[in-house]
Amino acid sequence: MLEGPVQAVLAPGEHRVHNGARQLLGSGRIRRRGPGSVGAASVAAGQGEPGSGSPGQRGHSQARLHSVHPRLCHVGEPRAGPGSPLLSEAVAFAGPGTGGVEQPVLLADLLTELGLGQAQAADAALHLLHLHLQQRDDVALLVELPQQLLRRGARRQRVRVVGGASFQRTFLPYPYRHRQPPGPGPGYHRRGPQLHLHRQVDGLHVLGRAPCRGLGGGAGALSGGGGRSGSSGGGGGGAGAACGPRRLALVDAAQGEDGGHPHQSRPGSGRDVAAAARRAPLRQQPAAFPDVDNDTPRVLLRRVIRNQPQVSPLAPPVADHKETEDAPSEPSSRRTSSMVELQLPDIVPEDTSISTFRMTRSRKKLSISQFERAADKRLPQNQAHSTLDSTLARSLRMSLGSVLAPDTVEKKGLLRRPKNRKAIDIAAFEGGVEQNMQRKAQNYLVDLQTASVIEAATATSDAEIMLNNTELFVQPQSVEQNQKKLSALEPQLSESKTPVQRSEISNATQEEGKLVGRVSSVGTDEGRTRRYSEEELINDGEHVDNMAHVSQKTSANQGEDEQGYSQQSEPMEQLSTSEEVAGTMEHHTNAGYSEHLEKKLTEKAESQIIMSPEEEGVAEGSVKHQDSPKPEPEMARSARAGSLSRHSHAFSSFEKSGTKPSEEAVEQADELLEDGAVMGELDGSEEESTEDETEMEGQESEEGSMKTPTFVRAPAYHPLPLLSTPHSAKPAAPASPLQPQQAKPVPKTSRKSQKKKREPALASSYIKQIFRHYAKMPVTRDAYQIIEKCCEKYFKQLSDDLEAYAHHAGRKTVEMADLELLMRRQRLVTDKMPLRVLIERYLPMEYRKLLIPVAIREEDLLPEKCRVTSQVSEIGDPNGTVNRTPGNPTQLLAAMFASLTSFAQH
Amino acid sequence: GMRRSAPRGTLRGLLKSHKPQLRLAAGGDLLVHLNFLMFLHRLAEEARTNAFENKSKTIKPEHTIAAAKVIKHL
Repeated sequence: MLEGPVQAVLAPGEHRVHNGARQLLGSGRIRRRGPGSVGAASVAAGQGEPGSGSPGQRGHSQARLHSVHPRLCHVGEPRAGPGSPLLSEAVAFAGPGTGGVEQPVLLADLLTELGLGQAQAADAALHLLHLHLQQRDDVALLVELPQQLLRRGARRQRVRVVGGASFQRTFLPYPYRHRQPPGPGPGYHRRGPQLHLHRQVDGLHVLGRAPCRGLGGGAGALSGGGGRSGSSGGGGGGAGAACGPRRLALVDAAQGEDGGHPHQSRPGSGRDVAAAARRAPLRQQPAAFPDVDNDTPRVLLRRVIRNQPQVSPLAPPVADHKETEDAPSEPSSRRTSSMVELQLPDIVPEDTSISTFRMTRSRKKLSISQFERAADKRLPQNQAHSTLDSTLARSLRMSLGSVLAPDTVEKKGLLRRPKNRKAIDIAAFEGGVEQNMQRKAQNYLVDLQTASVIEAATATSDAEIMLNNTELFVQPQSVEQNQKKLSALEPQLSESKTPVQRSEISNATQEEGKLVGRVSSVGTDEGRTRRYSEEELINDGEHVDNMAHVSQKTSANQGEDEQGYSQQSEPMEQLSTSEEVAGTMEHHTNAGYSEHLEKKLTEKAESQIIMSPEEEGVAEGSVKHQDSPKPEPEMARSARAGSLSRHSHAFSSFEKSGTKPSEEAVEQADELLEDGAVMGELDGSEEESTEDETEMEGQESEEGSMKTPTFVRAPAYHPLPLLSTPHSAKPAAPASPLQPQQAKPVPKTSRKSQKKKREPALASSYIKQIFRHYAKMPVTRDAYQIIEKCCEKYFKQLSDDLEAYAHHAGRKTVEMADLELLMRRQRLVTDKMPLRVLIERYLPMEYRKLLIPVAIREEDLLPEKCRVTSQVSEIGDPNGTVNRTPGNPTQLLAAMFASLTSFAQH
Repeated sequence: GMRRSAPRGTLRGLLKSHKPQLRLAAGGDLLVHLNFLMFLHRLAEEARTNAFENKSKTIKPEHTIAAAKVIKHL
């Protein structure tokens, strides 16, 4: 048997191969040739492997035929090894496929050699294979392939004997058969997979077959290693699923060895002989290597090994099928091979990238340290904090990539904060004082209204102080009381002209009266106001200076002055305001209007505080221009007093202009109130946030009045374009930059109700509640303002995005898909976090039911999560937009938990 | 815990005010509300983190402003 193939192999009669084979074979038992005897080849192979097993080769992946081959080569190297070297070398020759043509020749020689000692050769081959199998899987692979090829029962038996489990494992002749046909390959021999064995495979096959037919077949196979590509493919295919990786390895090695070796048409199914015979003529392989005669098989093998691509032993056993014609070979092997190849290049770029990255990092650190030093030098003050700041700065720079600027700012900010705070405190204190005084003045006004002013001219101070907090909201009674007080105050006013108290009182009364006047002075005559203004002037003669200043100063100054005055003359203010109120009340004959206005006053008490100074200024200005400097002191007083007076002034100005019908005045009053309230609130909250942490918006407004008086006046001015002269508006307008912004939108709303319609804003309390719940920390009131702005911006952007998405889809209606896309873009919805989970997590039950029709079912059917989730995911998403939960059981569990917990919450 | 129900009408009104020509599907406002809740959640978390970094027990406006800058829509 051996002889046949061997002879066939030898037919071509390549001398060198034959010689080589001879050498190999002869080393064995044959002993005829050189050191290597075929007989002992097997033994030697087995022995040689462990002995000579190339360390490098051992490191090869198991599936590497390469390794096998080298091993075999090595095995064959030691000449000492009796027959093994021969065989190994033969195999090696076959494997590397350096000389594809030569290999078969070699094998042929081997075969011949073996054939000579057929029995011995067969035994040697068997033994060799067995040893291989025992020692290494690669060998098993090598053996397997041939075994696979060995379809004949006899061969199988032999193969089994040799390889035992491995053989059987890999022995899949039928699958191999099936695979082969589909495989392309020009020279492929469908019939005989064995024939198509790659060179290595052939070699193995030869080896494997050795027992069957002696080494002929095996040798032939080995010799046909040149056609490894084909054989490997075939072998790979033959190996079947059992030893896919191994096959791949074999194929890989075969491929590598092939190196472009044309697919050799293996001999047909012809058993060993035929195969060998066919292999023999396949020596088309280019003589890439020098004469075999000159080079030992070992050298050839080495060459082959060197040239072949090295596959990392750790890499998955993948064969490089790229060059193979083994189309029939499993595609997986190709894939794996490509993967393996890719892995190698991947590793390299990674390293380089990492290295570069590190380098940059180190550079960064150096610069940062330098920065720190520089920063430290620059900030001697911060030496105490230098280390901290430097580290902070470093971290900041690293993270933000910014230069020192922000760090220094922060450092300085840390240091300067106390300084700034002091300054702010002072200013804030002053402003707060003024506001407090104004507020108190207002309160006093109200108190005066309730209590008899005359009696409490001096004593009211205490009473007012006591009633301070509560009186503010007793305004509804103020109408009548104001009337009384005004009447009572008037005489007082007239009497006490010089005394500061009275002046102050008059101021206070004026303020209050003005405010009330605004409320009720719808149709008052200008003269009356003038009269009162005159009185006020007289009474406030002392304050003329202040008033003059006030009229000319900015709102802040006014506020300060007023506050200063208010501090001194709190009690007086009360009286003055009461007087004013009384005075104004007299004028106002329209009790109804006054009541109505007063109601609005009560509603906007806080705003009034702002309004009063505003209106005072406004009224004063208007009065001034219209009449005389009288309004100036009025304005001054009113500014001191607060919003009430201003309101009254405004009305007085209305009256003076005489163009304002009562209704208009009322409207304007309302507008002013509203505007003032809005602006005051806005200003107070925004500007005075840092200073005033209290919940009293009034305080805020008061604090902000320093900055906002002119600004608050702006809206007052706006509604007064018809009435007041532009002069009044001028001083107020330039005072605060916020005026134009807020004044314009505010005046647009003529009615309180319209405000909401104009801006359908979410309830701030609602936002507060949600934010507080999520923040789990106390949140300052000012922060809520920021959040409010953020929400507005958010809704604007949201609407823009949704419109874009809907338009992109050619729709005019925003659908659920658009919203999901939006959430996806915001990375709220990901592949790992489907929309449905978010719905279940955040929304209440009723909404979840709407969005996920089968939500309940999903929760109830927890145990059937697998089935239910699939159902739910399909049913619950009518639009097909909800992400389907993947079949991952863990995710299903998570979804179920989420739904359950949310369900449990309700 | 359970919050108030979503202000569906307000949300629709808001959207209308910005984009009058745009319509909203049936359950769209619910998803808008969901998006809004998550936005507030993220903002609150970020502000909370900022406050912690500042060793402050309360969330101050500057924390919120910094948080708003970090949260990026798209």
